[in-house]
Amino acid sequence: MALGLARQRLAIGILVFIAFTGLLGFRLIELSLFDGPVQRARPAVANPNIRAEIVDRNGVTLASSFEAYALAARPRDIMGNKEALIAALIRILPERPPEAIRSAIYHDGKFRYITRRILPEQAEAIRRLGEPGLTLEREAERLYPHVGLAAHLVGYTGIDGRGEGGIERAFEQRLTDPAQLEKPLALALDVRVQQALESELKAQMDLQQASGAAGVVMDVHSGEVLALASLPAFDSNRPGGLVGMPSHMNRATLGVYELGSTFKAFTIAMAMDTGVLPRMDERFPTTPIAVGRQRISDSHPKGYPLTVPETLIYSSNVATAKMAERMGRQRQEAFLRQLGMMDRAPGELLETGRPLTPAPNNWGLASVLTIGFGHGIAVTPLHLATAYSALVNGGIYRPATFLKVPEGAERPGRRVFQESTSHALNGMLRLAVLDGTGRQADADGYRVGGKTGTAEKVLEHGRGYDKRRNITTFAGAFPMDNPRYVVIAMVDDPTVGSRMAGSVAGPVFKKVVNRIAPVLGVAPDTSGASEPDIRMFEGLYKPRDPKRDPNAMRRAAAGLPPLEGGVR
Amino acid sequence: MIQNLLNSRWPQRALQLPWRIIFLVGAIGTFAVVVLYSAAGGSMQPWALNHAVRLSLFMGLAIVLAQVPLGLWLKIAYPLYAVILVALIGVEVVGGIAGGSQRWLDLGFIRLQPSEFMKIAVVLALARFYHFLPRGYPAKLAGIWPPLAMIGVPAALVMLQPDLGTALMIVAGGMTMMFLGGLPLKWFIIPGVAGLASLPLLYNMLHDYQKRRVLIFLDPSADPLGAGYHITQSKIAIGSGGIFGKGFMEGSQSHLQYLPEQHTDFVFATMAEEWGLMGGALLLIAYGLVLNWGIRTGMSARTRFARMLAAGLSMTIFFYVLINSMMVMGLAPVVGIPFPLVSYGGSAALTVMIALGILMGVYRQRELEHI
Repeated sequence: MALGLARQRLAIGILVFIAFTGLLGFRLIELSLFDGPVQRARPAVANPNIRAEIVDRNGVTLASSFEAYALAARPRDIMGNKEALIAALIRILPERPPEAIRSAIYHDGKFRYITRRILPEQAEAIRRLGEPGLTLEREAERLYPHVGLAAHLVGYTGIDGRGEGGIERAFEQRLTDPAQLEKPLALALDVRVQQALESELKAQMDLQQASGAAGVVMDVHSGEVLALASLPAFDSNRPGGLVGMPSHMNRATLGVYELGSTFKAFTIAMAMDTGVLPRMDERFPTTPIAVGRQRISDSHPKGYPLTVPETLIYSSNVATAKMAERMGRQRQEAFLRQLGMMDRAPGELLETGRPLTPAPNNWGLASVLTIGFGHGIAVTPLHLATAYSALVNGGIYRPATFLKVPEGAERPGRRVFQESTSHALNGMLRLAVLDGTGRQADADGYRVGGKTGTAEKVLEHGRGYDKRRNITTFAGAFPMDNPRYVVIAMVDDPTVGSRMAGSVAGPVFKKVVNRIAPVLGVAPDTSGASEPDIRMFEGLYKPRDPKRDPNAMRRAAAGLPPLEGGVR
Repeated sequence: MIQNLLNSRWPQRALQLPWRIIFLVGAIGTFAVVVLYSAAGGSMQPWALNHAVRLSLFMGLAIVLAQVPLGLWLKIAYPLYAVILVALIGVEVVGGIAGGSQRWLDLGFIRLQPSEFMKIAVVLALARFYHFLPRGYPAKLAGIWPPLAMIGVPAALVMLQPDLGTALMIVAGGMTMMFLGGLPLKWFIIPGVAGLASLPLLYNMLHDYQKRRVLIFLDPSADPLGAGYHITQSKIAIGSGGIFGKGFMEGSQSHLQYLPEQHTDFVFATMAEEWGLMGGALLLIAYGLVLNWGIRTGMSARTRFARMLAAGLSMTIFFYVLINSMMVMGLAPVVGIPFPLVSYGGSAALTVMIALGILMGVYRQRELEHI
């Protein structure tokens, strides 16, 4: 019947009605919840948060901020003729490629930056265009005038203006503190030293096709880091990419490496300091020894027992292992702790590496022996520089600092080595350069001393070492008659040419010293008169070149006959 | 005494009114006044006060209309339809003489849009037509062409104005009546498919600005500051409201005049920006309750005329809500359909209130077996 039919039809109508109402409800919910407020890709920090400048120790600007404007297009909101607008923008922004402007204006989306860096005059001109589809945002721009110099140390700022590495990150609060904005943050860094260190490391790295390099120059008395290099580096102005990239890893403060024989100087000094090495003329046999499953032998075997200075000069693994054995684990660990080798890298940076040391329950005799010659312990180059400073400066450990220490201010330190020990080691390190593995590091006239270190790289997977890939290090100081600066040069995995530290890191050290000594006010002296006093070692080693040996030159000057045969 | 008073005729009539629905409609109207107050930047002028007065008057009119016997509606259904059709033609003629399109007749004290009343007139006329149509006839040609003509002629006239939205409403209302009247489903399916197939043809018959509206509906971002501006800004307004809205008087889209027609066609967006999902949902639920009541009235009515009238009028109100909210939410092209009782403006409010008045009349007389 018709009424029934109408009723049935009405029921269908109700269903349709409900369906449409449901549709409306869903759409309302969708718009309210998911369409959200208009989303625009605007920078997180739109207010121009200017950061304080960062300057080097001589006031040279390393990082500074200036106010800039970012120009963006909201293509859908552009009112006027797009072509006319593009023409106007090209006129105002001649440095910007026209295609980039065009593509931003015609961008198929809500928002697109045209450029992130325009000058206030340009911004004003653009404002005068009165185009509502253009957005001008004030942004603080961080500029690093030295581009990639000390990139890891100075750090960089992210797109939101926050420090994301190095000093920029470590001193975020200080740099953004409104009260201190006008006061530049003075670093201990010296751009001239930094430039020398970086360019020499880079040259050697390229020459030998190494995978990386690191270097430190440190004032031994104040602990100030005058230069800190990590290669490959990046342009702080355009850091790009992610923090995890190899170029963003600070190899000088974050990367830990087995730095090898450079540790032998510490072992000798520890042994001397603890009294287990009373005489310098005591001879140590260099025949290979076995400890546990390991066999310790010399890489430059001499075939005869070595005196204490000869141990360092010829870099004897066996002899230093024996000295370490005499000293024992307790004292070795205590010394390493005193030298900061058990803690994270010193200094204010946040990218600090934690050393790899044997686990306390695994620090047995084998570990004691291998640590004696620098294996089985991995530290950062900055650890090494700080410890070498303590070794050569008279025995006072001062943690590294990246901030400039005011003139005349004495930084507190702790005595690690006796002054006499430090003095003896200075002589031995000088001899290691003159007569030992560090010959190629000898910068003429600057009385450099130091120790090479060649360590095999740990295999990337599993345990064991890769015999064909080395970490080559030279740790040294100058001038050894009164050490003022420690220089660490490390080249990671040189693949072309020699892979021994003496031929890789040694020349870098020499070139760096030749370039920075004049800057740092260290006068050269080739007469031999300024050579360190190493009379205590006379006769305990064989001078390679008597004409340049400090003891031989001293005897010649005093009219004494040369020491016959030296050692044997 | 009181008993006597209550048992006398007029109080009885009053008690028979669906007061819940009246209060609900009153609440919608009050909410509309609040929204319009905010849309004017916190002022009763120029919209809120006018709207309040107008709605009160129309509500009174609706209650009066509710007293009209169904028989009278049945009697005047055709004459009313004819008068309004003549008025529609009149508008065309006047507009033609004045040179330009015109939608209203200026009677001096009020401007009437005959096309608005045609929405109700079509429902009334068709309800009457089907009331007297013998069984079996809705499927026959004799039962099909008169309703088609009754729908087609005014719809074509309104299209000429040109007012796509209202024409759509008339067609939708008329088709609903034919559906309820028992037109076989094939008559919906076949023309529906044919209509879909001929959409390109129809599209070409549209005016340029109407074409643009359809195009813009399909891609509002094609011309965000031109024809797509309405939809874009409206969606921004609704979206920025979130769940609880920005708060009373806090809507930037409307207060900063981003939103076009913020007090008329896009008042829903204005409301949603400030009251959020809650406000929108409450408003839709309120209308859902009113329409539910309307359709139930139709379901429970004993006569065909009453049944079809109630359902048709409910659906007419529903189409207002549906088309407007779909348009505001970007689900339909922008066609000037106001949100009933909330949008500022007299004609639509009057139409909806008349429809409600007739509905209340049907409700009161739903038990009548004969008219």
